[in-house]
Amino acid sequence: MEYNYEKFIVPDVEQMLNFENSPATGSTAPDFPLWKLEDQSETSLKAWWSKYTYMVVEFGSFT
Amino acid sequence: MNAIADKYAKDGVGSIFLYTNEAHPGENYPHHTSMEQKFRHAEAIRDRLGVARQILVDSLDGACHRAYGSNPNMTWIFNRAGTVIYKSDWTDAESVDNALEYFVDVAKRRKDREKLVPFHVERLDYRNADRLAFFNGLKLSGPKAVQEFANAFGPPPPEFNPDE
Repeated sequence: MEYNYEKFIVPDVEQMLNFENSPATGSTAPDFPLWKLEDQSETSLKAWWSKYTYMVVEFGSFT
Repeated sequence: MNAIADKYAKDGVGSIFLYTNEAHPGENYPHHTSMEQKFRHAEAIRDRLGVARQILVDSLDGACHRAYGSNPNMTWIFNRAGTVIYKSDWTDAESVDNALEYFVDVAKRRKDREKLVPFHVERLDYRNADRLAFFNGLKLSGPKAVQEFANAFGPPPPEFNPDE
């Protein structure tokens, strides 16, 4: 299954979902490079959680 | 979620929206084939859906999204050390509000030198399931997105108007 799938087909999409095995509460979160929409400059998840007492991250798309 | 971000900003809580892959690709917002396109779609999140928080864009192959489970609309909360303190497989503002109220109080108790140790808790939260609103959201992506979702989970409610 392609991450950027063209068609929403439930069994295929479900194969990709893996929340049950995602990082556990209490564990250190994995860091990744990300890009700011405003100027397309590179940043990282860590750069953001390091700035605040708590950092809320909502994952999502247009739909 | 914008209102939650505003509510807790004074308490040292940051909020970002991390743009992933299109969960329901349609004619207007098809699956991603380039970062340029991904940035354009992320602009639409800001301009058409009104996401006022900082928007960050994942890599084209979704490396970050995949590491966190790939679910389409999760919310995670980290502390300053990068420890996962909340993870939710679906975003619900009331659940996030409730969690932040608790965590902000924890920070105050720590400041007051209360001795605290973490422990794990599991909880099943409940969210609104507004099928009409969901189909109206799919409509923005295009008829293909509506049809594919209807094929998988049944037709939209009778009050849904695809042409409105």
